[in-house]
Amino acid sequence: MEKLLFKDIDEPGLNTIDVYRRRGGYERLRKALAMPREAVLNELLASGLRGRGGAGFAMGKKVSFLPKGAMDVYLCCNADESEPGTFKDREIMQKNPHLLIEGIIIAAYAAGANKAFIYIRGEYVLQADILDAAIAEAYAAGFLGENILGSDHSLSLVVHRGAGAYICGEETALLDSLEGKRGNPRLKPPFPANQGLYQGPTLINNVETLSTVPFIIEMGGEEYAKLGVENSTGTKLVSISGHVKRPGNYEIELGMRSRDIIYGLAGGPPDGRKVKLWFPGGSSSPVLTGSDEDLDLPYDFDTMAKAGTMLGSGAIIVVDDSTSVVEVAYKTAYFYRHESCGKCTPCREGTNWTLKMLDRIRKGEATPMDLDIIASVCENIMGHCLCVLGDAMAMPVSSMVKKFRAEFEEEIERRRQEADLASAMPEPELPLIQGAVA
Amino acid sequence: MPRPEIKMITFSIDGREVQAPENTMLVDAAKYGDVEIPVFCYEPKLGQPVGACRMCLVEIEGIPKLQTACSTPVKDGMVVHTQTQRVHEAQEAVVEFLLLNHPLDCPVCDKGGECPLQDISFGWGGGRSRFVEPKRHFQKPLELSPLIAIDRERCILCYRCVRYSQEVSEDYQLVLQERGAASYVATFDGHPYVAPFSGNIVELCPVGALTSKPYRFRARPWDIEGAGTVCTMCPGQCNVTLTVRDDRVLRVLARDHEEVDDGWLCDRGRFAYQSFHVDERITSPLVRVDGELRPVPWDHALDVAADALKRAGGAVGALAGGGTTNEEGFLLQRIAREALGSPHLDSQRAPVDRRSLLAIGDPGLQATVPDIEYAHAVLVLDTEPVDEMAILDLRIRKGVRRRRVRLAVASARPSALDGNAALSVRFAPGGGPAFAAELVAAARGEAASDDARAVVDLLRGAGEDVVIVASERVGAALAALADALGLRDRDGAGLIVVPSSANGRGLREVGVLPDAGPGLAPVARPGLHAAEMARAGAEGELTAFWLHGVDPLRDLPYRERWEQALDRATDVIAHAAFLTEGIREHATVVFPVEAYAEKDGTLTHPDGRLQRVRPGIGLQGRNRYGWQVLADLGRRLGLELRVLTAGMALAEVAAAVPFYAGLTQDEIGGRGIRWQEREAASAYPRPEGLPDLAAPTVREGAGLRLGTFRSIWASPEVEHSPALRFLVPRQRVEMAPADADRLGLGDGQRVVVSANGSRVEATVTLRHAVPAGSVFLQDGLVRDAANTLTGSVVEIRPAVTSEVAG
Amino acid sequence: MSNEVRRFSHGSRVPGWDDAVDLTKEPASVPDPATTPVPDELRAEIEAAMAKYPDRRSAALPALAAAQRHHGWCSPEAIEQVACVMRLTPAYLTAVATFYDMFDTQPVGRHRVYVCTNISCSLRGADELCERIEQAAAGDPDISVRHFECLGACDIAPMASVDGVYVGPIELDEVDELIDDIRNGRPPLPRKQLRLRPTADSLPLDGKDNG
Ligand SMILES: Cc1cc2nc3c(=O)[nH]c(=O)nc-3n(C[C@H](O)[C@H](O)[C@H](O)COP(=O)(O)O)c2cc1C
Ligand code: SF4
Ligand code: FES
Repeated sequence: MEKLLFKDIDEPGLNTIDVYRRRGGYERLRKALAMPREAVLNELLASGLRGRGGAGFAMGKKVSFLPKGAMDVYLCCNADESEPGTFKDREIMQKNPHLLIEGIIIAAYAAGANKAFIYIRGEYVLQADILDAAIAEAYAAGFLGENILGSDHSLSLVVHRGAGAYICGEETALLDSLEGKRGNPRLKPPFPANQGLYQGPTLINNVETLSTVPFIIEMGGEEYAKLGVENSTGTKLVSISGHVKRPGNYEIELGMRSRDIIYGLAGGPPDGRKVKLWFPGGSSSPVLTGSDEDLDLPYDFDTMAKAGTMLGSGAIIVVDDSTSVVEVAYKTAYFYRHESCGKCTPCREGTNWTLKMLDRIRKGEATPMDLDIIASVCENIMGHCLCVLGDAMAMPVSSMVKKFRAEFEEEIERRRQEADLASAMPEPELPLIQGAVA
Repeated sequence: MPRPEIKMITFSIDGREVQAPENTMLVDAAKYGDVEIPVFCYEPKLGQPVGACRMCLVEIEGIPKLQTACSTPVKDGMVVHTQTQRVHEAQEAVVEFLLLNHPLDCPVCDKGGECPLQDISFGWGGGRSRFVEPKRHFQKPLELSPLIAIDRERCILCYRCVRYSQEVSEDYQLVLQERGAASYVATFDGHPYVAPFSGNIVELCPVGALTSKPYRFRARPWDIEGAGTVCTMCPGQCNVTLTVRDDRVLRVLARDHEEVDDGWLCDRGRFAYQSFHVDERITSPLVRVDGELRPVPWDHALDVAADALKRAGGAVGALAGGGTTNEEGFLLQRIAREALGSPHLDSQRAPVDRRSLLAIGDPGLQATVPDIEYAHAVLVLDTEPVDEMAILDLRIRKGVRRRRVRLAVASARPSALDGNAALSVRFAPGGGPAFAAELVAAARGEAASDDARAVVDLLRGAGEDVVIVASERVGAALAALADALGLRDRDGAGLIVVPSSANGRGLREVGVLPDAGPGLAPVARPGLHAAEMARAGAEGELTAFWLHGVDPLRDLPYRERWEQALDRATDVIAHAAFLTEGIREHATVVFPVEAYAEKDGTLTHPDGRLQRVRPGIGLQGRNRYGWQVLADLGRRLGLELRVLTAGMALAEVAAAVPFYAGLTQDEIGGRGIRWQEREAASAYPRPEGLPDLAAPTVREGAGLRLGTFRSIWASPEVEHSPALRFLVPRQRVEMAPADADRLGLGDGQRVVVSANGSRVEATVTLRHAVPAGSVFLQDGLVRDAANTLTGSVVEIRPAVTSEVAG
Repeated sequence: MSNEVRRFSHGSRVPGWDDAVDLTKEPASVPDPATTPVPDELRAEIEAAMAKYPDRRSAALPALAAAQRHHGWCSPEAIEQVACVMRLTPAYLTAVATFYDMFDTQPVGRHRVYVCTNISCSLRGADELCERIEQAAAGDPDISVRHFECLGACDIAPMASVDGVYVGPIELDEVDELIDDIRNGRPPLPRKQLRLRPTADSLPLDGKDNG
């Protein structure tokens, strides 16, 4: 397969504008600016490109939702990349920042936006510095600023560094955070396309989504749509981690067999181990098992949805049979409890409660009845929250309880016996809530 | 700005067709069909819904997920279900979640019995909990401020209080800290939450997490009664409900009135009720015997007072202020004019002549309070709303925040609203009338300063509907300005003139003025205004003073002159609630004045709304109604006033003030009525032209120019409310860093401020926003008040006696 | 009376929950520039950040980050200085600062080590690693170690971010060297830094482990 995003990704100096331009960089921008706005938009629509940040919404459609008018339109590139298991955007920003910048400029042109921001998670210091340097180069070369390449398109681009909060990847929380507030999600509607940043119409897309835009202009939307499978066009970066021999980022064509990704590209679990379960799209996706049926599923948006899970951000986390499902569930719940913004009741209280119940299992204090309560609490969270962070915990945890109920029950029993033995010893303390600890 | 038109639509809820105004939130629309949807975080007064608590989930046909009814605007043809299995399960789930860590300590909770959490758990909860982990437990209750206690265990994180602090009062002091399940309500680094409007959060909190310290454990909901009345502590005249138990006021709550207060109260209005029941209150008539004020029987006090007033033979100066009602003011002026033959009456702090008052009170120029919110632009001119008419501060903020009103502030002292203003300009202290004259010139296209032109440009640029909120002392220029801006007879535009006392407008209109009688009618023989009375008293021309709700030493300028006047006067008859200095030292007879909770009468709001003050508790001690005391006095002075009830007193007022004609207590009712909206308004006297507008002020010589202001906390009610006492201001001199540098003074230093040999002590407060050359001191203080100084140019030097910051 | 109430040994405790206000303090409104000195450099940095956005409030995060660099942590003094320049209340900024994990509202060491203990890293031994690093740094007031949620580098699990520099996979026997590097101001485990790592996709699929 021919690589797009990862073509020559390790070429030395690719992050500088000289090398990037030598490789044809910013030519796609030139081409796009020579086209009418609508034509660019039509290419995006024709490409079938679906958002790579998690929700998989068609990008062209999102652009076409933006109201036309005299208002300031904003573009926000979502580079918060905090979904556990996801690290693909990092690779693009670090090694090929100009690709992202070029994509942003073209997308902003199609959207009629004159101000763009890249919201990058604060932990990505190196990548943010690289972006800053690349943006300065792009300004100097006239790709950013007023009347880009002599066209009527002007764009300012600012890198905004987050400060450690997963929820800021949620698009409306991202906007609040970018406005200098606590990163609480907003009520929708109004959707960002109508009322987003500073109340103006706003286009929000993931790094990978925007970085794909130059290729769509280069190849033409229809040509791009020939890659991948129906309704899941193009190539996708997959971050694969956990119990595999070759963790890392791979560019695949959508629709590749999952087994070929996990075993073929990533080398599968260590010798002698079997895949117990895997998260197909970041830790918020319901888990799949190591069964042949699941491993043979084509890796694309619709198939994953049909299998009761989702492609999400394209982050596969593989867990082999050396690890207890209880621990995985606990880690998952711990993360979402820690990251819940606290604004809405079901998520704030539900994640906290679920974690406490899972902790009781680990401590040998639970009974199998608690599994029903966990399932019911997850049920009570799902669909009732302000944003989908609550669901992001409830979905994988309840999928684990459902698919591995027998193992949970065994663990409950085993740990109870262990705890009885250890009951003479003092109880360990629950870890303090992180973030509040010095 | 035209207000949105309301269109009625039809939607279906629980199988019934219901009519409701389009785009109201489903929660509110449901009420039109008698369906209640439970809410915690939803409170329309706080602005846009946030959809945080998820209590209000309902099913809407055509939308797969349950929706929050608090944030879904109702549309024609919508089909809503609130009684399906899915909805019940979701609501039960939310109640269960909310109660997980709630301590369920209802038996010892102050909110018990009037708690939305109890009610909703009862009505919509599942009545069980599956939570077996230990709950969070923390120390409770803790202090959030001297007025408010916080019990964080009980908090359900509904965001109401913090939204209030950020979006309504905009003090941004109360915030949520940390994140997720660890979030809690707190302030910065342990600073107390003290702000002029902080008490509203107690009323907003839907659980017992925020409670009023003065009210805690004083009563249970079934012990109490509510009594509606109007707060008379400032011209805002907010509508309140008194919580009464055993004939004592234990709490004051807002009685939402969109046209007056928008449902909020300031902390003085909310907590100063304590002063109604303190021992220091005067609850019996007093007469000075051997230099000491002694309680006496009513008849005796009335006789002594009548004799004294008679003895003065027309050389009586009468002043009214404070919470004096229309009826009291009217009777007072009748007695003074008709029985005593004295024309010397006043109710203003600074003199504004009759022609000017006539012009600025013209019905064609009046704006209403809600107009502030819907105007294109608002000009705040020479007044500080938070100190002078507190509740307007919130209204102006609301207009700017929610309806993008363009705000201009023109004042001598930096204003609390500067941060919201599109333009703030400063003039020299005392320069209000002169600056207003410049604005008139600018509006007429004549030569004017840049500042004045900028203000006028801003107002004109914003749109036609301009509301000018200005101090009464600006006077005549206000009418000229309103006319020059074309505001006459425009709905939604005009003036709101802030008087110097709570019922300033009413007192003016019933004739407590030196040059006007009831209905602002001209008088044959004009009397002296307050400042001249002081001079006349000091020079022996006036021999008696009659003070109704005013202590000149506390409330009026020229303290030194007043001291001489009161000292020299043979008799000083006072109607007062507290023995403030002037009364204590100089009164010969003191009649107790009822607290507003005991009072019966009417007030006129600055926008012309007549409102009723109604007794919520019986008369305390040996108090009598104010109108009754005056009627009794009148009778002793040979004037039969024909008032046997407050209603009869109002009838007298209505008969004498042509534009109040026919007003009755019933017509005023619980929500008041603006006289401009009644037919009788056409009887308002025709304006008679304006006096010359003030000339620009010229700086007199070197030295610092003194500006004064009276803080919202400078009042006897605050001093006598134990809970509020910590707010009683001490004198401080606000000055620009540049001036302080020049004089070698630092922040917090004790200094002596002097003028013409008079002096006060103060603490230096450096303020970046104070213009160099101006300094500001406070009025209305017990000690070291600004009115002690006899000049407007001051010198400042370090205090020698102590160097400790106070 | 002590503020400590711990009725349950295993009840979670959040600092602040038990704190009453100090009634001797003045209410905290927007600090007056006349009485709140701000170091010039910090002021310049905050003002530059404010200039980047259509609304100055957007600079809250960069401004707090600058103050944290300047003061070592988001101390009340640091927050007051930001509040003074940005014309916001310190409470508002505290609300923001406590929301985000990377702002420290308690004093910390000069060096911050975040050890990822999220799913992918813990599957590869991060919990033990974190414990080891904590032990190795124990008692050193200059180094603050804390476990962190997914840092977006699961390909180098188990990993840590040392003052923003990503290193991994870290073997248990490399912990002492890592701490030594930090103590002596050297780049942490240079051979293990993420910046040097090729993209997995561009390596030959020769079956070798690169994890
Ligand atoms: C809790 C939560 C976290 C998210 N985190 C991210 C993220 O880190 N990066 C991202 O691109 N999208 C994230 N998303 C998805 C965004 O909300 C949004 O859908 C996406 O940025 C849109 O871009 P796309 O259409 O290009 O995918 C998150 C969503 C949720 C609910
Ligand atoms: S203290 Fe009361 S008003 Fe504030 S968030 Fe908690 S429950 Fe809501
Ligand atoms: S009332 Fe609707 S979410 Fe709180």
